[in-house]
Amino acid sequence: MGKILMKGNEAIGEAAIRAGCLNYFAYPITPQSEVAEYLSRRMPEVGGVFLQGESEVAVSYMLFGASACGARVFTTSSSPGISLMSEGISYIAGAQCPAVFVNIMRGGPGLGGILPSQADYFQATKGGGHGDYRLLVMAPASVQEAVEMVMLAFPLAEKYRNPVMLLGDGLIGQMMEPVEFPDHLKSEPTNKDEWATNGMDTRGSNKRNLVKTLFLDAGKLNEHNLMLKAKYDRMKREEIRYELYNIESDYKALIVSYGTMSRVCKTAIDNMKDEGLEVGMVRPQTLFPFPENAVYEAASKESCKVVVSIEMSMGQMVEDVERCVKGKLPVKWYGKCGGDVPTPEEVVEAVKSFL
Amino acid sequence: MEIDLDGIVIIVGNYGSGKTEVCINLAVNRKMAGLEVRIADLDLVNPYFRTREAKTRLAELGIEVVVPPKQYMQADLPILSPVVAGMIRQPSQLTLLDMGGNDVGVNVLAALGDALSGRKIHVLQVVNPFRPFTDTAEGCLKIRNEIEMASRLSISGIIGNANLIDETTVEDIYTGYDFVSGLSKESGLPLKFVTVAAELMPEIDIKHFTCPVLLIERQLVPPWKRSISLASKMK
Amino acid sequence: MGKTFAKPEALSDQHTHYCPGCTHGIIHRLVAEVIDELGIKGRTVGIAPVGCAVLAYNYFILDFQEAAHGRAPAMATGIKRVRPDLIVFTYQGDGDLASIGMGEIIHAANRGEKFTTIFVNNAVYGMTGGQMAPTTMPGQRTTTSPFGRNVKEVGMPIKMAELLSALETPGYITRQSVIKPKYIVRAKKAVKKAFQYQLEGRCFSLVEVISTCPTNWGLTPVQAVKWAEETMLPYYKLGEFKRPD
Ligand SMILES: Cc1ncc(C[n+]2csc(CCOP(=O)(O)OP(=O)(O)O)c2C)c(N)n1
Ligand code: SF4
Repeated sequence: MGKILMKGNEAIGEAAIRAGCLNYFAYPITPQSEVAEYLSRRMPEVGGVFLQGESEVAVSYMLFGASACGARVFTTSSSPGISLMSEGISYIAGAQCPAVFVNIMRGGPGLGGILPSQADYFQATKGGGHGDYRLLVMAPASVQEAVEMVMLAFPLAEKYRNPVMLLGDGLIGQMMEPVEFPDHLKSEPTNKDEWATNGMDTRGSNKRNLVKTLFLDAGKLNEHNLMLKAKYDRMKREEIRYELYNIESDYKALIVSYGTMSRVCKTAIDNMKDEGLEVGMVRPQTLFPFPENAVYEAASKESCKVVVSIEMSMGQMVEDVERCVKGKLPVKWYGKCGGDVPTPEEVVEAVKSFL
Repeated sequence: MEIDLDGIVIIVGNYGSGKTEVCINLAVNRKMAGLEVRIADLDLVNPYFRTREAKTRLAELGIEVVVPPKQYMQADLPILSPVVAGMIRQPSQLTLLDMGGNDVGVNVLAALGDALSGRKIHVLQVVNPFRPFTDTAEGCLKIRNEIEMASRLSISGIIGNANLIDETTVEDIYTGYDFVSGLSKESGLPLKFVTVAAELMPEIDIKHFTCPVLLIERQLVPPWKRSISLASKMK
Repeated sequence: MGKTFAKPEALSDQHTHYCPGCTHGIIHRLVAEVIDELGIKGRTVGIAPVGCAVLAYNYFILDFQEAAHGRAPAMATGIKRVRPDLIVFTYQGDGDLASIGMGEIIHAANRGEKFTTIFVNNAVYGMTGGQMAPTTMPGQRTTTSPFGRNVKEVGMPIKMAELLSALETPGYITRQSVIKPKYIVRAKKAVKKAFQYQLEGRCFSLVEVISTCPTNWGLTPVQAVKWAEETMLPYYKLGEFKRPD
C-alpha cells in the first residue's frame, strides 16, 4: 500500500491495530475523540475489542485487568482524562504490566481549553500518579512519527513490563499528513506465562500467577522499588531517542524543543539561517528517558552562547534542560500555553532577545 | 471550463476529505466570477482546522463567513447558530454550507430540515481517494448512503479532491481524476469539478480533464507553514 | 399571564449558546422560576457540569461553581456539609451523571445529602459531538455506536430514577419531561417540590428531565420531540418514583 492521508488521531488508532493491539478502552474527550470514533468502526472489522468505559478512572483499570492477563492493550485520552487515569497508571507500573497510553494534550489546568498544549510534560515525565514509578514517554512531531512510535510503544511496554506513554499535543492529533504504515508487527507479548494471570490451564501449569502492588514488608517494598529503578536505569541506557537539527553549523544558540513546537522551531531556524544567524536544535523524541548527554554535548559547542527551551507550557521541560546543561551556559525559556502555538516569527524574536 | 454553481451549495463528504479547503477556494473562485458569496461553517464535529480559521482573509475579499459567536469560536461545544436558518431562507447568489465529516457531520442538516425544505439545493460530495474508507468506489458509495440517510437529502454531484497535501504529485492528480470519473459513471452522479493545488498547476495538462478545475490555495495550514495569499488570483 | 412570560429574576437575558430546539433553555427557565418563587436567589449556589450546560453560569444570575466531569454531587456535598443553610443544586447531563459520575451521585443520594439534582437526559453526549451515553436507546446510532447501540455488548439504557429509588435512604426522585407544554407544567411542579424538600432539610432530591438534542440526533426540533415521545417516553416512564414521606 502507498501513502494515504490521515489525521493523527486516526493514524494512531490504525497503528495500534497494526501493532497487534486489538483491545481498546476509552472515554470520549476532545481533541482526541476521533481515535474512539475511528476504532468503533475498525475494531469490529478486525475482530478486536472496542469499549467505551464509564470514566477514565474505569478505563485505566480495564487496561490493568486486561493487561494483567496478558493482552496487548491501549487507550487514548486528553489531559483531564489522563489526570483521572493517573491512579490506574501507578498501579499498572507498580504491578509491572505493559500498557500504552496516548495523551493528546490540551490546555489546562482544570478544564482549560481544547487547543494544543504541552503542559502535561511534568505529569508524564515526573509523576501523575503516586509512588516511585516512571513512564517511558515518547513525543511525536508528525503523523508519520506518531505511527512509528505507537508501533514501537507496544514492544517497549512488553520489554520493560511498564506503561509507555505517547505524548502528543492537540495539533498532532488533529492535523492531516500523508502516512505510510510499516508492516504488521508479528510479535506476541513474550514471556507472559511467567507473570500474567492468564489462567493456569492456558499456560499448562499448576503454579498460580499473582499480579499485585501491595508489599507489607518494608524490606520487600524497598527491594521491589530497587528492581523498578533498575528497569528505569536500563531505559536510560537503551531507549534514549532524539533528533539533531543544524547541529553541524557554528550555532550561536541551541534550541531544545519537541513535538509540534519543534516543527515551528525548524522553520524559525531556517529563517534565521537565511538572515545569517545559525541556531541548532536538539529535539527529544523520548522525554523520559531524556537525551541528557545529547543536550550537554550540543551545549558544549564553543560558538554556542545560550540554550533556549521552547515549549507550549509555562516552562516545564526547561528544568530538565537546566539539569543537563549543568551550568555551562545560561538556560532560557520561551513559550505560550493556552492554545496559540507560537509562530516562527515569535520564536525568532525570542531567540534573538536572548543573544 | 468555468465552474457553474449558484444557489445553495452544501459541501459534504467523509471525514477529512478536504471539504473546508474546497469550500474556501470555491467561494473565492465564485466571488472572482462576480457572484455574491456567503459561507456558513457548520462543522460542529471537528475541533480544529475549520472555515472559521480563514474568516478574516475571506472577509477581506468580501466573502461573509457565518460562524458561532466569537466567545464560543474555540469552544468544545456543538453550537448551531440560529443565523444559519435565516441565511438559508434568504440565500445570496451563492450560499455555501461547509459541513462536518461523515454522516455524523451532516446530522445538523436534518435539524435544519425545515429551513431547507422546498429549496433548490446542490449537495456535493467531496472525494479524496487517498483517504481511508474512500479508496474504493464501494467505500465512497457507502459514505454517500450514510450521508443521505443522516441528512435526509440526496447527493447531486461529486467533487474530486485527490491529494496528499504537500506530497501530491502530478501522477496522483491524474490517478485521482480517473478514480472520480469512474465513480461518477458508476453512481450516475455528475463530476462537478476536480481540484489542483496552485503549486502543481504549471505541470498539469488541463486538456486531460473533461470537467472544470478548481485551483486550491491552501488556507488551513499548520502554524509552521504559510498559507498562500487568497487574493493572488486577483493579481 | 404576564407573570409566566416575564423573565425570571434568577435568569439573565443573555442569549444562550444552545442549539435551536434544545430543551436546556426551558429547563434553565423552570429552575430559575422556582428559585424566584421560593425567594431563595440570594442563598442558592448552582453547580455546572461538564457537558453542554458547562456555561450555565452565564445564564443563571446566581452563585455558581463549575465542577469536573461527573463530580458535581461531591462538590454539592462539600457545600451542604459546611453550609447547610445554602440551597444547592447540581445541573447534570446523562454522560456526566450516569457515566463518569455514577459513583458520586449514588453515594450522595445514599447519604441523603440535602441538595437537588436536575438531571438532563437527552440520550447522548451533546458537548463532545454525539457519542454514546449510558442512556442512549437500543439501536440508536451515535459516533461511538456507529452501528446502533448494541445492548448485547453495552447493556440496556440506564434508568437512573428507578435505580436511585431502590436506595433505602429516603429521597425525592421523579422523572419529568419538557418536550411539550403539557409536560412542562408538571415538570415545574416537580422541580419546586424538589427544592422545597431541600428547604425543609428533608432529603436528597432529583428530577430527571427527558430532553431533546436535535443537533446530535440529526432531527429537526419537531421530529426530535416526536422521537423523544415515541422512543424515550415508553422506556423512561414519567412520574414520581420515591418520596420521603
Ligand atoms: C475527565 C474528562 N473526561 C472527558 C471530558 C470530555 N467531555 C466533556 S462533556 C462530555 C459528555 C457530556 O455529555 P452529557 O453529560 O450527556 O451532557 P450534554 O452535553 O448532553 O448536555 C465529555 C465526555 C472531560 N471534560 N473531562
Ligand atoms: S448539542 Fe444537543 S444538548 Fe447540546 S446544545 Fe445542542 S441540542 Fe442542546
